[in-house]
Amino acid sequence: MTSLVHNEMLKLLRKKRLYVIILIIAFLVPLFTYAQFKQIQTAAEKLGTDDWRTRLQQEIVDTQNRLSSSRIQDEWRKFLKVRLTQQQYYLDNDINPQAPGAPTFMRVFAENSIDLLLPLLVMVVAADLVSSEASGGTIKLLLTRPVQRWRILLSKYLALLLSVSFIVLMVGILSYLISGIVFGYGGWNLPLLTGFSVQGDELVTNSVHMVPQWQYILMEFGLVWFVCVAVGTLTFMLSVLLRSTAAVMGIMLASLIAGAILVNMVSSWESAKYFFMVNLQLTNYVSGMALPIEGMSLGFSMAVLAVWTIAALVISFVVFTKRDVY
Amino acid sequence: MTMIPALQVKDLRKTIKRKEIIKGISFSLYPGEVFGFLGPNGAGKTTTIRMIVGLIKPTSGTITIGGKSVTSQFTEAMKHLGCIVENPELYPYLTGWENLEHFARMDKSIPKTRLNEVIELVGMDRRIHDKVSTYSLGMRQRLGIAQALLGKPKVLILDEPTNGLDPAGIREMREFIRRLAREEGLSVLVSSHLLSEIQLLCDRVAIISKGSVIRTDTVDKLLAEQERVIWRVSPVDRAMQLLSEETSVKEGLDGTLITLYDSEQVPVWNKKLIEAGISVSEMKTQLPSLEDLFLELTGGETID
Amino acid sequence: MKKRTLPVIIAISSFSVLLFLFGLGWAVKDQLVDTHSELQPSTKETAGNTEPSAKKDNKITVAAIGDSLTRGTGDDNGKGYVGYLIEQLKKKSGSSIAVANSAIKGERSEGLVEQLKQPQIQRQIANADVIVMTIGGNDLFRGGEALQSLDTNSIEDSRIQYIKNLEIIYGAIRKQNPKAEVFHVGLYNPFINMQESELTTAIVRDWNFAAAESAAKFEKVVYIPTFDLFQLRAEDYLYSDQFHPNAEGYKLIAERVASLITVQEEGKTK
Repeated sequence: MTSLVHNEMLKLLRKKRLYVIILIIAFLVPLFTYAQFKQIQTAAEKLGTDDWRTRLQQEIVDTQNRLSSSRIQDEWRKFLKVRLTQQQYYLDNDINPQAPGAPTFMRVFAENSIDLLLPLLVMVVAADLVSSEASGGTIKLLLTRPVQRWRILLSKYLALLLSVSFIVLMVGILSYLISGIVFGYGGWNLPLLTGFSVQGDELVTNSVHMVPQWQYILMEFGLVWFVCVAVGTLTFMLSVLLRSTAAVMGIMLASLIAGAILVNMVSSWESAKYFFMVNLQLTNYVSGMALPIEGMSLGFSMAVLAVWTIAALVISFVVFTKRDVY
Repeated sequence: MTMIPALQVKDLRKTIKRKEIIKGISFSLYPGEVFGFLGPNGAGKTTTIRMIVGLIKPTSGTITIGGKSVTSQFTEAMKHLGCIVENPELYPYLTGWENLEHFARMDKSIPKTRLNEVIELVGMDRRIHDKVSTYSLGMRQRLGIAQALLGKPKVLILDEPTNGLDPAGIREMREFIRRLAREEGLSVLVSSHLLSEIQLLCDRVAIISKGSVIRTDTVDKLLAEQERVIWRVSPVDRAMQLLSEETSVKEGLDGTLITLYDSEQVPVWNKKLIEAGISVSEMKTQLPSLEDLFLELTGGETID
Repeated sequence: MKKRTLPVIIAISSFSVLLFLFGLGWAVKDQLVDTHSELQPSTKETAGNTEPSAKKDNKITVAAIGDSLTRGTGDDNGKGYVGYLIEQLKKKSGSSIAVANSAIKGERSEGLVEQLKQPQIQRQIANADVIVMTIGGNDLFRGGEALQSLDTNSIEDSRIQYIKNLEIIYGAIRKQNPKAEVFHVGLYNPFINMQESELTTAIVRDWNFAAAESAAKFEKVVYIPTFDLFQLRAEDYLYSDQFHPNAEGYKLIAERVASLITVQEEGKTK
């Protein structure tokens, strides 16, 4: 099996997929770093102070002002309320959730890329893992070896897991290294609050506790990885089912974007919570953001993703081992 | 023959969407022989080959390679098989060497030294470290054969091996295949829709049409059975009439007549013609081309 | 070199699989399995109080609290009187000015009383050199509602409540910051051109008077009248909602407040 995985990794590497992804990340991170830097700068300019308490207080007031506007949607209002309570909680406990520093940037970057950017990157690798062999005809040579089909597929899946992990790790490392140039490399021990949960409009804080940022980041990256594996597995299934890599990418792209849109408007459509793509923002549960749909929780979302992942794996293996190859 | 067949196909059937595509094909391949698989496009050659190499699961029937069943003992069976199905599609972004390494890694029994052996065998040592995307079709074909030979197979299956090659390449390929069979004792299954190719390359041939084998025999025998006599005579009409009384006669091109060859009867017919005052200016025997043969066997179904 | 990249990447990837699995496991344990006792909100009480030292000396800090007027609603430039005031002060003092605008649209006096209990607001008040505020417009007009009925009794009740709250507000500010000058921008009558303007004007005057009386009870609390600013050409200085001032109106208010704030060369208020 190791030599099979070796083969798959070799092919992935030679197709330059991983390099392209690293390049994309290396290009995007400075962009966001600069944006964040600018944001901090303008905020400081506007308030005439770089004291984070004043800034956070200002944010709270801004939120309150938005809440009092009558033209605000109910979902948005709920979100803002939760946000408000949380900000107030940070303020009351004298914790700066946005303390600048490379680890903070890393965390915020991961939180913001979990539902679209990272799944897209994973998709680039997963989409043609099987379909390119089918469209390139090399599958005929691959399947006429003295190796069972399920082993070949498993080696491909393991290669996918490895490269997904590699991508997530690269996101972490690159965002840390690059943003550190601007924000400095410290801040691993910054205390952060987690354990917020939302019931209705209320933010429940009884299980809120403090964790150091490094642990927080490790947990969030674990969740990011989980999401990437789920998205990767679904793409993998499509790659098994379809010959055309473009079709795989198209379907995946459409559902991811649909997910990003749905999250903002499904609060009244309850059964939408069983879609995998509205459950991608796992990190929001850790940081205590409002949920798109009533009744969702970290456990629920992880379960939904796990079910989709397992179903996709079963379908992939059954189809791949039974299918006639023309 | 008492030899154990290297490849045996028994009553192979395949139904796709309730339509029977392969209707009970049986044949055997013996060590050291080159076996031709002849039929027009769409006759079921490729489907049959794909079933033999395990890409398609047969609806019923058995396939054994070196005594191992392709369906129930897949890995053991595949150890004895090397193949190129349709075009030799390799990874264009890898070098020839990396491609071979890649496939060698998939079979633990292949030693590293085997790579150099097959490269030498197909004569590719000069450009083996170049990317496959820079190779010509002939080189890809050779690399394809190299990968098929990696596992020292007993059976080599080549689907349309000369497709897209220039005449020199075709001759080279033909000699190469014959040498493999002769020197390495390989059984080679070659499919083609080109009769001339099969005629020159194969020891035995199975003629396949619409999903079933209509004839399996040695090429020599098939041809001998169909040996004919061509008569150049005048007047043609009268000769035709006389010969028709004895045997079946067809009109050939440029006013010749064609009858079957029968070593005892031909002198008798000749005498009869001469006695009737017909001048016989030419009389020769001719082996038919497989084209004629195919037309004969299938009753008018054309090739291509 | 190419020969070595692949094993290295495989090794790194395998390591990261383990790392992320560990992270995931920890996240599940931390978020789903463990139960945590509530964090005491005042664990770091001391940190907040040592903070004022962060304030730089050559800088004027302005704290703005109150309702939509302080927020700047109606000003197309989004500055409001606070914005214009800061501009003027900057020009006057030549030093930088820090502003913390905590005003909330629609805020009434009860709301402000509550807001002033928040430690961060208190901190801002404590740090401020100058405090500006508007409050009462929403108590009085309730978005125009109250004036439609003009029930004198209920208006009188709100006034009493308002004055009570106002004194609490002043008291709270003084408690946090005994030194800073407090400028309370007074009420004007946006309905002066409408029917029954006599009655509404009388009510606004009444409220202003009462508020000024209260302000007088506290040291360094200045009640700044604005009634006169909008008395004659209200339509020129009011926003299209006929309630909030427009940019011109805000500039008038800012000028008036600015004229009351004196700054020294090095930037400190006197």
